[in-house]
Amino acid sequence: MNDPGLAALLSGPTCLALGTGNATMTHRGLPVSWGMVTLAFVLAAALWALARTPAKGIESQGVSLGRLPLIGPGIRRLTATPWVLISLRMFLVALFLLVITAGLFGTPIPERNLATMLTWNLWWAGLVFSVLLLGTAWCAVCPWDALAHWLVRRRLWRRAEPNNSLNLRVPRPLRSVWPALWLFIGLTWLELGVGITTSPYATALVALLMVVLATVSLALFERKAFCRYFCPVGRTVGFYSQLSLVELRPIEAEICAHCRTLDCYYGNAQIEPCPTWLVMGRLTQNSYCISCGNCTQSCPHDNIAWRFRSPAAEAVVGARPRWDEAWFMLILLALTIFHGLTMMPFWEPAMRALARVIGDSGRLLWSFSAGLAACIACTSLLYWGAARWAHRWTGSTMPFRRFFATFAFTALPLAFAYHLAHNLNHLARESSGLGAVLRDPLGVHAQPLSLAEKHLHHLDTWIPLDVLWALQTGLMALGFVIALQIIRHRGRSALGEAGQPAWRLAPLILFACAVTAFNLWLLMQPMVMRF
Amino acid sequence: MRRVSLPGACRATRVRSLRHLFPGLALWFLTPSFAMAHHVLGRPAYSLNEDSNTPPSMQVETQIGDYFVTYMVFPAFPRPGAPGRINLYATRLDDGRPFHGEVTFKVRDDSWFGGREEILGVQSPDDNVYRQGFVFTDAGDYVITAEFESEGEPYVIDFPLRIGDPAPIGPIGLAVGTIVAVLLGVNLAQRRRLLTAKIRKARDEARP
Repeated sequence: MNDPGLAALLSGPTCLALGTGNATMTHRGLPVSWGMVTLAFVLAAALWALARTPAKGIESQGVSLGRLPLIGPGIRRLTATPWVLISLRMFLVALFLLVITAGLFGTPIPERNLATMLTWNLWWAGLVFSVLLLGTAWCAVCPWDALAHWLVRRRLWRRAEPNNSLNLRVPRPLRSVWPALWLFIGLTWLELGVGITTSPYATALVALLMVVLATVSLALFERKAFCRYFCPVGRTVGFYSQLSLVELRPIEAEICAHCRTLDCYYGNAQIEPCPTWLVMGRLTQNSYCISCGNCTQSCPHDNIAWRFRSPAAEAVVGARPRWDEAWFMLILLALTIFHGLTMMPFWEPAMRALARVIGDSGRLLWSFSAGLAACIACTSLLYWGAARWAHRWTGSTMPFRRFFATFAFTALPLAFAYHLAHNLNHLARESSGLGAVLRDPLGVHAQPLSLAEKHLHHLDTWIPLDVLWALQTGLMALGFVIALQIIRHRGRSALGEAGQPAWRLAPLILFACAVTAFNLWLLMQPMVMRF
Repeated sequence: MRRVSLPGACRATRVRSLRHLFPGLALWFLTPSFAMAHHVLGRPAYSLNEDSNTPPSMQVETQIGDYFVTYMVFPAFPRPGAPGRINLYATRLDDGRPFHGEVTFKVRDDSWFGGREEILGVQSPDDNVYRQGFVFTDAGDYVITAEFESEGEPYVIDFPLRIGDPAPIGPIGLAVGTIVAVLLGVNLAQRRRLLTAKIRKARDEARP
């Protein structure tokens, strides 16, 4: 390398990785020292958990925002009026239509088109952070659902009677999260395999497809079956929101216990019923709440409000295990790991080697699909093995299927923590340049970024690297701690009230350790940038 | 026969002139200074060399059988009536030796009713690069096919080429059409339901 300027750039946080026949731009991973400290913490916490018998269940104590002094009444008024949500929906629908326009009519250069930049570099990367801080708030303002609602109901927000839908019941085989899970795997395949993230046109097509699916579902089925059963983004947001810092819940449980009208479930003359069939008085998990605000507006007692809570409360105690949901959480973990794997510099050479073995050509989609299937299979088998081993060791009388589902919640914080840590990298390092794209959303006559511009973009992180690494390691440690809590507290029922030694849960703790260690290792590798 | 069809075009590198293509390619392969983007096989990538004032080009890399194939389209967004060029470069995966035989370039219209294939030309290597010029009079979607034979085995590589601006009415029309059809269907079904309910009610009331 003769160019001293380039040499200086390569020694920084962004560098070029040379592969066979091509070169890619990568970002430096988490420093080894940070990774080792986190790993030491993980091992120490695991040893502690093995040595200590699990305590009794933890109490979920939240702080209702509606009850806070000074700001409480304001928050309650804001959530009780539909206009805040309507304004946000209108704004996001306008932005969404702009994304479709830019994707279909704009430049195919991904870094110069609003469709790819906004969808993949900002929304897709940032969505998971909104879940941590705001729960399922995204679903409340989702433009897919807003457009579908306006097209079918033909009302801005008030209840439509008749509601212009056939109101069919969703067929029984589809009344689970399996449809959303398959769509999510499909979306991952399109995103990472076909590479729609680098194609504004394909991005717009997927956006249009989601609107069509949401509209057709709303026109055919009762309530919002798309949000509840089919939407891959909504279900991912829903499951992750079990670990969010906020929840929409009754202020006084007693009021709900004595409620006879159940306006939250049935709606009233003005407000639509709960779109996902939830009764607020019995709500224990965020998974299916889409924060639409119908319950806050229809409750005759003004008894529904947002509240702060511990991010561990729901997954540790509140959420009930179900077979389909267990698989959703496990495969969510597998897919987050897979996202990380595909962005490693070794991924493409590995795919090319596999392609040669199986005779794959072109975009190597067969090889990619094999990699995706292998990642899902390995993660699932690892958990299945851990659960089977723990089931035997604990001598639990619980049927294995239920045992499997009960402890599958362990996968959730592990997936969420890695997803946050990984996306922090994307957000911090790839979101620069958005201003230029907003000024020219279609990229009319835009030129591709030059090498120097790309380097400058990637060097232009909006948080210092030390802070980024501290946040990443903190998230990984927190995810592991919550996973340990889930194993210990859910393990109380498996170990029996007599209290067997905690080391009988070792296989599940080992599973959490192995996944965290692997995810840490992924974070420590240089990451290939999106574009 | 080895065949590959790529639904997208790929990566772009710009060189000062076509005569300098091979040194440019060689430099790109050997040093990181020509690395432009997150490169994934078969996906389009566009980039610009700031040292040059020629328009950007588009590059696709792919793997087929025993060969790693790179092709570039100059310019990246060809217009009707304007000359353009395809450059193709194939090396063996095992030892990196470039392919030296002849490559046939063909073109066909990628629209629903246009399947006729024409031969653009048969090219021999020039500094290991196969260069095929083109001028399209009409805008539209085309498929370029590059064919060659190695060790008795035929290789066929299809890749799309867009001339002029895309016509995005198709997806919008399809989406709007589907939504309108479903909403109309639901509306008709609902009217029928309401009518049936009314008739039933009237019959019940008329009954003594």
